[in-house]
Amino acid sequence: MSAAIETRKLTKTYKSRQLGKINVVDNLDLTVERGEIFGFLGPNGAGKTTTIKMLLGIIYPTSGEGFVLDKEIGDMDVHRMISYLPERPYYYEHMTGMELLKFYGSLFGITDQNKFKQLLEKVNLHRDLTKTIAQYSKGMQQRIGLAQSLLNDPKLLFLDEPTGGLDPIAHREIRDLILGFRDEGRTVFISSHELSEVELICDRVAIINKGVIERQGKLTDLLSGGRIGITVTGIKEQFFKDMMIGDANVRSTGTQVLLDVPEANDPNGIIDAVRTAKGQIVSVLPRRKRLEDLFVETVTNKS
Amino acid sequence: MRPILAIAQTTLGEAIRRKVLLVILLIGVLLMVVAPGLGILSARSETTVLKGMMLGIIQLTSAVIAIVLTVYMIPNEIERRTIYTILSKPVQRYQFLIGKYLGAVSALAMMMGLMSGILVLVFAISQPSNRDISAIAELIKPPVMYFVQMCLLAAVGIFFSTFVAPLVNFFLAGGVYLLGSLFNPFFETLKSSTNTPPIAKFAAAMLNFLLPNFANYNVQNPIINPGQTIRNETMYYVEITGYGVLYIALLIIGGIWIFDRREV
Repeated sequence: MSAAIETRKLTKTYKSRQLGKINVVDNLDLTVERGEIFGFLGPNGAGKTTTIKMLLGIIYPTSGEGFVLDKEIGDMDVHRMISYLPERPYYYEHMTGMELLKFYGSLFGITDQNKFKQLLEKVNLHRDLTKTIAQYSKGMQQRIGLAQSLLNDPKLLFLDEPTGGLDPIAHREIRDLILGFRDEGRTVFISSHELSEVELICDRVAIINKGVIERQGKLTDLLSGGRIGITVTGIKEQFFKDMMIGDANVRSTGTQVLLDVPEANDPNGIIDAVRTAKGQIVSVLPRRKRLEDLFVETVTNKS
Repeated sequence: MRPILAIAQTTLGEAIRRKVLLVILLIGVLLMVVAPGLGILSARSETTVLKGMMLGIIQLTSAVIAIVLTVYMIPNEIERRTIYTILSKPVQRYQFLIGKYLGAVSALAMMMGLMSGILVLVFAISQPSNRDISAIAELIKPPVMYFVQMCLLAAVGIFFSTFVAPLVNFFLAGGVYLLGSLFNPFFETLKSSTNTPPIAKFAAAMLNFLLPNFANYNVQNPIINPGQTIRNETMYYVEITGYGVLYIALLIIGGIWIFDRREV
């Protein structure tokens, strides 16, 4: 099966009187597989929202090409199979949740009241039927946003900062809903600054900076190459220095020696050596590389 | 068609809840209610003055409502990001724009309908002789023509809202309305006068051609001045309505053309 999203050298150029031509998105090659949760990361102004708008056909690329669910971007048939939840969306405040779903449903020709009720139930708003959007909390507004984005039973969802500005409870609710979308076989494309959230739910990520994709791949691959912390007693610091473990940090606290070694080094070899020298292993703690480290490293290197 | 109606309905629902529009409407209605009390200050026939005053209030209030309603229409949707949730669904931009326009026109119809109702009511109370159907029909004709005028003004507002900011649009749409209401007859005279230099004649002809002729719809003068008559009233109304519909269609098509190419 082909990819859910594929772009080839997709570029968006804006003209500015002061700065001349600026490539907000520059030769973007992106692949999002079907059924995965894909995190699209980048600092403010990196080109994330511009990319989403191009993929949705709301703005037009300057050059390059893009395909969404096998159709060229901008094709109206794609709009029947996708949905979009913008960052900090505004909904017509005089409407109730049900009225809002009826409105968005009518844009698809959907009039099934039961479907609206089911969606309200799914996002846990079925007990707030008389409340207008103006009376909704931020979390409730985000949930009604997700409900409207599910009206057409989309194969692909674009979520722009879906948990931005929400409290931890609302965070968790939205996260669970998104994970549920993957279980239902949908593809989810998330643009977010909430890196810990992305790390928890995404299968693959891409980091965009100044319009250029800097990293793209599986989270497990990108975050590999972490370090391992080994705490030892009964052996002197010099013992490890003599072992010449590449890129290792060795520190003594008096009674204990703390080793910080790359994951690539064989920890079993070190543990065996400690035991042979009659030392004792106090702890072995793998320290996985965090997405935040990768993000900062990528963005700072570029800057 | 369904998306257009859904967008129109939502636009109407929002418009009739906008406080600024309701305040303008309230001021108009209050002025209409107190108008009979002001009529006695005039030496001329009370009925004539009262009609002129109340029709003037309806026209002015409606014009302000039409401009305020439409100048924010597209920029607001972009700023609030509502447009993205709508255009990411199977909705074409032309459907969005036509829906917004129809919603605005429906809101105008409701508000002008209310003011026309008050006009009839005030006359029915203060002028018992004006209670028969023909008198009411006569009274209602100018507001109906004003409605066509306001539909045209709303189209001007929507057209500009596809590419300019609300404040600029406020002055642009207001300026076009003033020029089209006050200066079109002047341009007409200038164009047909033998003493006008050719370049001024050409400029007058161009402006006269390009600007929508809002003055066409100011039909209150023949009514409050019985000396001024329109020979074939029905034909005149059909003609100016046709002119309005054609102009509105051109403005909406132009708006769609621009909006379709605009990055939102």
